[in-house]
Amino acid sequence: MTLGPFVNEPVLELRRGEVRDALSRGMAALERKLPLRVPAMIGERRIDGETLLSTDPGDREQVVAVATRATGQDARRAVEVVSAAAGAWASVAAEERALILLRSAAWMRERRHELAALCVRECGKPWAEADADVAEAIDFLEYYARGALALDRGASVLQVPGERNHMRYAARGVCAVIAPWNFPLAIPTGMLAAALATGNAGVLKPAEQSPACGAMVVEALRAGGVPPDAVALLPGAGDAGAALVRDPRVHTIAFTGSASVGAEIIAAAARVRGDQSHIKRVIAEMGGKNCVIVDSDADLDEAIPAIVRSAFVYAGQKCSAAARVLVHEGIADALLERVAGAVATLQIGQADVFGTDVGPLIDEEAQRRVLRYTKLAADEGVIVAAREPEVDGRGWFCPASVVTGLPADSAILRDEIFGPLLAIERVRDVEDALDRVEALPFALTGGLFCRNPQTVQSVAARSPVGNLYVNRHITGAMVGRQPFGGNRLSGSGAKAGGPDYLLQFVEGRVVTENTLRHGLVV
Amino acid sequence: MQSPAEREILEVGSRLLTSADSSVHSPVRAIDKRALERASQDAELRTALLRFVDVAPACRSPADLAAHLIGFLGELHERPLPLDAAMRMGSSKAARAALGRAAAAGVRHVAHRFIVAEQPGDAEKVLRSLWSEGVTTSVDLLGEATLSSQEADRYAQRCLDTLDSLAGIYAALAPMPQLEADSIGPIPRANLSVKVSALTPLLRPDAPELGERDAMPRLRALLRRAKERDVHLHVDMESFDSREAVTELVLSLLGEDEFRDGPSAGLVLQAYLTDSPELCERIVAWAERSARAQPLVVRLVKGAYWDHEVVDARQHGWRSPVFEVKAECDRNFEALTVRLLKTRSHLRAAIASHNLRSVAHAIVANRALGGQPRDVEFQVLRGLGDELQRALVREGLRVRTYCPIGDLVAGMAYLVRRLLENTSNQSFLADQVRGRPLEELLAAP
Repeated sequence: MTLGPFVNEPVLELRRGEVRDALSRGMAALERKLPLRVPAMIGERRIDGETLLSTDPGDREQVVAVATRATGQDARRAVEVVSAAAGAWASVAAEERALILLRSAAWMRERRHELAALCVRECGKPWAEADADVAEAIDFLEYYARGALALDRGASVLQVPGERNHMRYAARGVCAVIAPWNFPLAIPTGMLAAALATGNAGVLKPAEQSPACGAMVVEALRAGGVPPDAVALLPGAGDAGAALVRDPRVHTIAFTGSASVGAEIIAAAARVRGDQSHIKRVIAEMGGKNCVIVDSDADLDEAIPAIVRSAFVYAGQKCSAAARVLVHEGIADALLERVAGAVATLQIGQADVFGTDVGPLIDEEAQRRVLRYTKLAADEGVIVAAREPEVDGRGWFCPASVVTGLPADSAILRDEIFGPLLAIERVRDVEDALDRVEALPFALTGGLFCRNPQTVQSVAARSPVGNLYVNRHITGAMVGRQPFGGNRLSGSGAKAGGPDYLLQFVEGRVVTENTLRHGLVV
Repeated sequence: MQSPAEREILEVGSRLLTSADSSVHSPVRAIDKRALERASQDAELRTALLRFVDVAPACRSPADLAAHLIGFLGELHERPLPLDAAMRMGSSKAARAALGRAAAAGVRHVAHRFIVAEQPGDAEKVLRSLWSEGVTTSVDLLGEATLSSQEADRYAQRCLDTLDSLAGIYAALAPMPQLEADSIGPIPRANLSVKVSALTPLLRPDAPELGERDAMPRLRALLRRAKERDVHLHVDMESFDSREAVTELVLSLLGEDEFRDGPSAGLVLQAYLTDSPELCERIVAWAERSARAQPLVVRLVKGAYWDHEVVDARQHGWRSPVFEVKAECDRNFEALTVRLLKTRSHLRAAIASHNLRSVAHAIVANRALGGQPRDVEFQVLRGLGDELQRALVREGLRVRTYCPIGDLVAGMAYLVRRLLENTSNQSFLADQVRGRPLEELLAAP
């Protein structure tokens, strides 16, 4: 079976009024169903229990979903069920699994307006970002379906007379997927689709802030034809996730989230427990402290909108978001003045209003954290722009700020803040900027604004980041176009949406057959 | 068998072409033309030169400029001899500085062909001399992108000042009856083109009302001043992303009672947009409804963002908003020309094209629809349509030349667009330079 070549699912053309109207209708349709009920889904069973409320980050009174708070016991039960089903799923032909993922993609495509609306409501994602989240989820299904087919053909190995060598890839078994809330559809879909496409069974533990989006991912996969026993949903908090990580029947853990949680998972997964007979593999996508270098020949007309977009859209709550700008001292004054002016025009408001750049933060804890860093910024440096939200106090809003003149050891230049706070530093030249980038423990994304091809080459050669963007914004990696993932403490190195990703979910098996018998090659 | 109209178009077109050709007498122009021809035949070279022009004003010294030039040329697989020599010059510090200075002079030379002056005050000489040749202008203020409210305010202030100075410059000029009225009535002498993207930092494709709301007070102030000074105010159209906001803004402001009896104002219709016939109908219906003292001017253009629109649509996986086949765009241009000319009493058509066929077609269509020569305006771009401009004047037609004013840094985006157009394989100018036969150049699209 061959499928047509992969193409990215087009994002909606929001510049057309009729397209915006369709999204608004999707929102109205969703709102009639709120609050959604999200049980734990283990096999055919839907388990209710103690509940967890998911609320609209823009309005704490609005309950989006009432979810089951899955327990450690639920987690063990889920692993038991998918573990029992894993063998059967692995023996389904790769073609059939690929077709199932494509049907799941079609299911999402048919509901894309309502799915985007759910992203808006549950996670405070502005429309364009929410729509891109749905499109990326579809992309992952389509991309990994094709990738798994290719992988199923095995790898080519050397052959010599008298022996037959064959290398193939087999599913590892049970994959626990621990997903974040900031790409509430795309990231869990990507991690689960990779696991399922390659023949693993999966358990999804969505972030406690986005259980309803997580449920949609499992709904889509089951609607496409994944047997209910092969994919489970465990809405809940950290304890369910921790139980999954410890469970000796889990083979692979795919995690996206903070560096501290990632490190804990890697440590916990390293321990071989009970009658466990394998080494767990952890795929971890973690944080970033992403820098944009602006050389003296940059076109500020292009650089500034791109920097502002990279730092502030979705309130900076992307691991790829820009946190620091390292600008050549020759144009630093002009850049500072113009960035400040541009930040003052940012639209801070409800995510469901078209044109909103900065929506609410995800929750109260995030708001407290960002406000704490914003205060620190004012104490340690000079705030050159502070755009205050002009919305009522029922959402987790915070100002968008730009700070400069920070001391070199400021926590603001080191910690991942995950909010709309951008630090700008003057550098002598590009080399000086690269020295500062190299001093960071993170290496996820980076940016460079420069029009000299030789400088572009030398920065590309020296920069340690996983994804370097030249003369454009540094967020919005596309499946198949910008395989995404960080180095150093930003991740374990696998590039999501790229050609190597699926290899993390399989184990190689080589069969060598001696075909020489009494000098006869059989 | 050609229709009578087609025969007439061929006849008018040939006359324009002969007349345009005989006006080429500058040896510098001839060299420029050869350089453009060379560039349009070599895509790699064209890209390298455009990238260089783009970065030139941001370079900090002649040596920096030379470093960039060498960087771009270094990426070429095959370099024309003079450029190869330039590359070798980069070996010593003094030579690099000399190369940088020479390159800077080259960029300035090209820029000055398209950009009349750095400041409105310095443009006076050019505007007066054009007027004396029987040509009026629309002045366009080039500027950096507007990213903040302060930048929008500054641009609006520059426009207000320019409205004043244009009124002053043109008031002092001798009467030029063929430029000052058509069958409907008087036409203001001075004319300023403005960009909504410069009047607000909030033009958002997904929220047109945001930019509209923000630009409205600034554009209203410009309309008031234009009315006071009797200067025509024209609102340019830009990429498709802002089309809805610009259209809504212009039509809603001009619909206000305050502006019913002035100023003269207009907007732009881009024939490369596949849905431009629908927009045209909307504008026509609006014009017929709005009994304005000075009818709305509709400038019909092909559209200057073709490459941007096509690439943008491809990157997003969208259907392209523009015709991708040139002949379809040309046919649409002619259909829209006819539609606008038929609405004569309610609106004024300005045909802005350097395509000789499109221009000849408009001349013939105007005549066929009972219009006087002065009832249709022809617009050309400074530096690009100079020869056509003179030929049209000789035909006794009303010509307006679009004259950008601004410094080099600000003018680069404009300059690159113009050069892109001028060196495009599909451009009428390139066809002309390549010596395609007249019958083909003037054939119905």
